[in-house]
Amino acid sequence: MKKLLFTIDKVSTFVGRMFGWTIVGLTLLISWEVFSRYVLNTPHAWVLDAQIMLYGVLFMMAGAYTLAHGGHVRGDVLYGFFEPRTQAALDLLLYIVFFLPGIFALTYAGWGYAGDSFAIRENTFSPEPLPLYPFKYVIPVAGFFLLLQGLVEIARCVICLRDGEWPSRVEDVEEVDVDKLKKMVDVKDEDIARLDEYVVKQEAKQ
Amino acid sequence: MKKELRFGFALMAIILTAVVLFMPWGHMTNGHLGLLMLALIVVAIMLGFPTAFTLMGMGVIFTWIAYRSVNPDLAVEQTLDLMVQRAYGVMSNDVLISIPLFVFMGYLVERSNLIKALFHSIHLAMARIPGSLAVATLITCAIFATATGIVGAVVTLMGLLAFPAMLRAGYDIKLSAGTITAGGCLGILIPPSVLLIVYGATAGVSVVQLYAGAFFPGIMLAGLYVAYVIIMAKLKPQLAPPLPMEERVIPLADWVKNVSETISNKSLPGLLGALKGKRNAGVSSGKIVRQLIIALLPAIVWFGAMGLTYRVVTAPPEVVDTQGLQEMGAADEGAPAMESQDSGGVQEPQAEGVQEPPADGVQEPPAEGAREPAGAAPAAKPAAPAAQAAPAPAAQAQPVPTWFWLTFGIGTGALALFYALFTFARLEVFKMLLSSFFPLAMLIVAVLGSIVFGLATPTEAAAVGALGGFLLAAAYKQLNFGVVRDSVFLTAKTSAMVCWLFVGSSIFSAAFALLGGQEVIETWVLSLNMTPTQFMLLSQFIIFILGWPLEWTEIIVIFMPIFIPLLAHFNIDPLFFGLLVALNLQTAFLSPPVAMAAFYLKGVSPPHVTLNQIFAGMMPFMAIQVLAMALLYMWPEIGLWLPHTLYK
Repeated sequence: MKKLLFTIDKVSTFVGRMFGWTIVGLTLLISWEVFSRYVLNTPHAWVLDAQIMLYGVLFMMAGAYTLAHGGHVRGDVLYGFFEPRTQAALDLLLYIVFFLPGIFALTYAGWGYAGDSFAIRENTFSPEPLPLYPFKYVIPVAGFFLLLQGLVEIARCVICLRDGEWPSRVEDVEEVDVDKLKKMVDVKDEDIARLDEYVVKQEAKQ
Repeated sequence: MKKELRFGFALMAIILTAVVLFMPWGHMTNGHLGLLMLALIVVAIMLGFPTAFTLMGMGVIFTWIAYRSVNPDLAVEQTLDLMVQRAYGVMSNDVLISIPLFVFMGYLVERSNLIKALFHSIHLAMARIPGSLAVATLITCAIFATATGIVGAVVTLMGLLAFPAMLRAGYDIKLSAGTITAGGCLGILIPPSVLLIVYGATAGVSVVQLYAGAFFPGIMLAGLYVAYVIIMAKLKPQLAPPLPMEERVIPLADWVKNVSETISNKSLPGLLGALKGKRNAGVSSGKIVRQLIIALLPAIVWFGAMGLTYRVVTAPPEVVDTQGLQEMGAADEGAPAMESQDSGGVQEPQAEGVQEPPADGVQEPPAEGAREPAGAAPAAKPAAPAAQAAPAPAAQAQPVPTWFWLTFGIGTGALALFYALFTFARLEVFKMLLSSFFPLAMLIVAVLGSIVFGLATPTEAAAVGALGGFLLAAAYKQLNFGVVRDSVFLTAKTSAMVCWLFVGSSIFSAAFALLGGQEVIETWVLSLNMTPTQFMLLSQFIIFILGWPLEWTEIIVIFMPIFIPLLAHFNIDPLFFGLLVALNLQTAFLSPPVAMAAFYLKGVSPPHVTLNQIFAGMMPFMAIQVLAMALLYMWPEIGLWLPHTLYK
């Protein structure tokens, strides 16, 4: 069971990371277009559409990846202070009430929406048109991965309800990785601990 | 029960009680349903489920209810259509596209690891100011946070660098903690910030104008922080004792010491003297020349800039190209507008120049005038046929306007003063700043400048900024695959977080509009007969209160769509409102219990520093934020002057 959960975690992570690399493409594409437009004086009409597509693909496909690592923003007034079991019960309920209907509807509707676009081989509205239907297929595909990851999260909630603690997740880079930052500026835990004397000294004075 | 839980439950209970009491349960209209949805979403968000999906789920359910009340047969189909269109709208939104790019730039800059050098050099440059360490912390935060925009990382890094330094120097714990947390949040306000893009996308306000508008309020807030710290350090020196002399000493190389003792301790005459070989300094002249060039950099930059301005203001008036504007003309016109900004906002140098007495024109070297038309002609030629070329010979060099000489004189005087005080120790500090402060400042200025002056769209500037982040990381020898990979993955996650929130809120607000919740709120607000001032105060107060339990992303994407349509009734500029909101949401980071900044600092501080001390330290800075809002409200020009001057 645990293995299956981890496998799906890894799939979501892999997909999200793979499409994450589009940010490098986006940076280079626009920088090149800026150079081409302002220096070489040859703008390209298709770049505008291409950059929108790259951005859309980037964030849509990273949705499941973000969910797999708990990266979607939560209202944290109460949640952080709850017991794990309470957290899991609440999450389980809301995954069923909000997440599943919402994402299922999005995936289903997206499939039809992209299918319509594919039927007419829709292109972008531009002097240099690009095919638009692959971009629209991103909606159901991203929705599918989210749904899959959502089911994994539901399984996690159930496990947590049973065990009383959250099952582990696959490791990933963190935005504020304190250990990495400490290493970056050469500060060691002992240094911080040694500072305590100043704090104590100051408190003694007051 | 824990204190924090009680607080949250109390808030929830208040909302639910209000709903139960005020809902006209007997005769519910769709509009009331909309309000119910709004109340429920606040409660649901507080339960802690990922907000994007809470919004999406609730939006779908209520959209279906709204459609069903009209035509039950079509309801499901219409709901699905609306959902997918809203999602696609976010995917093809050309404002939000700059978010991943700015985020990516931020991660790259953060990982280029220049914060240590930045803090150190700014600290040395500020050594004489009271509370120098705290002031340096604020300035470092402002610059670094502006470039990265990642509150957590900035607070953590400054907590590792500046907090120990301040504690060792005997600074008050609360003051130190407040400085770091408040400074770390400045990046949210000072452009290029993601908050302003999110607001712009939600409210339909131009991001360019928001950036231009937020620039001075951001600087003002940072300035108020600095002023507060300096005043505190002056009034109560025990809170921020001055640095002992021995810590201010800047180590100099032996030959430099030698020169400064034997020839002059001022860098310029000292280096010149050493170069002449008046006294043997014992170093190769190449080394001295290199130092000399660095020492002369401010002068070179100043005279170069003034020379360029001179060229631009004396250039003959543009030959108007009737064949349609091309890039060349646009770029040329942009340049004088920029220069005029430098010289204290004198507009349109060309028009100004015409009114000048021709006597000034005599000072003009003829060579310059002869070169200019030659340079201008090719630009006009390809497009303009022979008949239109007629005005070209008439184009003459403009006389030099007075303001130019005035600026030139004042600037040169300041430069002379600078060199009179420019000792070898200061040269050393200058060199440190040159390698840490200026590259970052230039990146920010280039990105921001090109957006604000209309040379590039925010998207283009963001992409070039990200490329600049690459170069910066490369320049600090931090660019490797690991850094890029981490930045890419983090960018993917952060963009997904923000943009999926938009997908959710876009569906949610569609449901809200379908149910007519907006109309109910509008009729209700208008029935209160508020003055614009009262409305402004009330709305800002509500946002302030919401900042306690919610994060800024949630506040903007959920509540701005409700406030923005009301602004028109009260004749409030959405741009101005946005600036106030951006200032206001600064408090959201510092207000307990969700004050992210405090928790990040706590994570890296010595164990005896308590959260309560950090919270207490943040309070004065929150008061300053409120003061800054009041100032901006009383003098809207602080924010609106720049956008109004630039985009009339």
